[in-house]
Amino acid sequence: MTMSALSISTAENKCTDIEALALIVENGSCLAVGGGLSSREPMALIRSIIRNNVSNLTVVGSAHGIDIDLLCGANAVSGSQESYVGFEQDFGMAQNYRQGCESGKIEIQDNCCYTLVQQLRASIQGLPFMPIQSVRGTDFEKNPRYKTIQCPYSGEDILVVPPLTPDVAILHAQYADSHGNLRIEGPPVVDLLFAQASKKVLATVEKIVTSEEMQQLGGANIPYFYVTNFAKAPMGAHPTACYPFYAYDREHTKLYMSAAKEGPAAFQNKYLKHFVYDCESHDEYLDRIGGANTKSKLSSWKESSDAWMELYKESA
Amino acid sequence: MEQSCTLGELIIDQLARTVDDNSLVFHGFGSPLVQIALHVAKRVYAPNLVLVAGATYGVNPDPPFIAPTTNDWVHDRNAECHLSIGELFDLSASGRLGRMFLSGLQIDQWGNTNVTQLGRKSLKLKLPGGGGACNLSCNTKYITLWTAAHRAEPVKGKRRYRIVSQCDYITGLGHRNSDGITRQQLGYRGNGPQWLVTDLGVFDFNKDGHLRLDSLYPHTSVNDVIENTEFEPKIKKDLKTVSHPSIEVLSIIRNLDPLRIHEKELLPRDRAVTLNGNKHAAIC
Repeated sequence: MTMSALSISTAENKCTDIEALALIVENGSCLAVGGGLSSREPMALIRSIIRNNVSNLTVVGSAHGIDIDLLCGANAVSGSQESYVGFEQDFGMAQNYRQGCESGKIEIQDNCCYTLVQQLRASIQGLPFMPIQSVRGTDFEKNPRYKTIQCPYSGEDILVVPPLTPDVAILHAQYADSHGNLRIEGPPVVDLLFAQASKKVLATVEKIVTSEEMQQLGGANIPYFYVTNFAKAPMGAHPTACYPFYAYDREHTKLYMSAAKEGPAAFQNKYLKHFVYDCESHDEYLDRIGGANTKSKLSSWKESSDAWMELYKESA
Repeated sequence: MEQSCTLGELIIDQLARTVDDNSLVFHGFGSPLVQIALHVAKRVYAPNLVLVAGATYGVNPDPPFIAPTTNDWVHDRNAECHLSIGELFDLSASGRLGRMFLSGLQIDQWGNTNVTQLGRKSLKLKLPGGGGACNLSCNTKYITLWTAAHRAEPVKGKRRYRIVSQCDYITGLGHRNSDGITRQQLGYRGNGPQWLVTDLGVFDFNKDGHLRLDSLYPHTSVNDVIENTEFEPKIKKDLKTVSHPSIEVLSIIRNLDPLRIHEKELLPRDRAVTLNGNKHAAIC
């Protein structure tokens, strides 16, 4: 049996707009979403994907929140292999994700962070499986895709997991150069592995810089040939953070959560309609979340620790 | 005389005391009690601790304050260096990770944890999921379990226990799973759960790997523990009572967490409670 090969992308002009990126995501894709929890999630691209009425996605990832929950709330997801989808101790359970799982709309096969890493490593290295020294004895062992084999050296049992090759990885990075090299600042979460393991990589970025500027910033950490297409999307991670540009918008997340807690119908009317479907573009979304005022508030974290902390006060 | 403190501060101090010096320890995400406890440990109990922050994977950061979400750059301030997600989990797989802190909506008598789902045969409640808990529970040298919601007040006459006989789903492996298979049989590097710190007391595990009450708090009783635990807990013969945190520990906690983010982990009734050091009684 010949194994399929991953490809590279050397196209001349990969820079496009958010809408064109979103059109690349097809119904039924296995989708890897970059960023994590409240940080650097490709939200503008996700909103655009939702406006295209994409459905039956299987989402894979480590620790996620509003990105996956929003896709679930818009009925775009039919399978989840996430390790965590929630809002930590602050807002608790992800209501749309939970509702989708409990109603049977979403087929769940929870994963764990290291199992995910090993599966991506198998894909990246072109291996048929990867052993992992954990999982056995827990209920994750029941996953029919995992197998126990005998170690050929010691004879002891060891679990092996199959490669994971997402159809599309969607990432939000701080910078790209015109060639499509990406620079992620701060914790890269699983983004680098997703970029290497996926068939296609779509990226939005805060800023497009010259090669010289990229070098001055410290260089790219995702080489351009992994990247299928990219687009500029300032504040494209909102309401998650994309430091150093802007902090996490807790206030908007709180508004999101209160709509989600009221159930699917209220979530459609109170959140999805206003912030997703009725926005013709990312620019219109930015107007609706408060335009320049919100942008300046969320970038005020830089001024001092007190200003930063102010963003997270309960009344804020 | 002991310092007055809050329940959250008492739990943080007890979590911090489980950290060994010269070890590499990770805190996950969504767990400010543990996050703060590691900073207390590094400054008071374990100065050579290698502190790896959850979500940001920064090593020995010195955050100016605790934010309501773990994956925030504020928690990465002044980190000496950084790990990648793969590297962090490799450290556990190879036995270098000294301790990890795990919790669950269910924690059972053998130290298994469940953050995946309620309902054994069919799904009753989908929980957020365990992140890397499953992997870390197997090979990390020692595990400290914790919950700030051991107290299970009856709702319409029924208690939904946090400390249960058997987890509906095993996300993190304890000393033996629901089929009675022990971690020794599975050949893991990790020694499993060593401590469980709750809002009612501190537990260890006996030689069979069964949960056992080790210490009470000045304001809690054996009866509190029995009433709020689904099974009959084992109780150590020389049951101790822990003391309140020192002024030094309290000032570290209060300076690091002025937004009182850690109180979100406590039951609402416990958030505003001050434990009076003098009377050893809970007063509101």
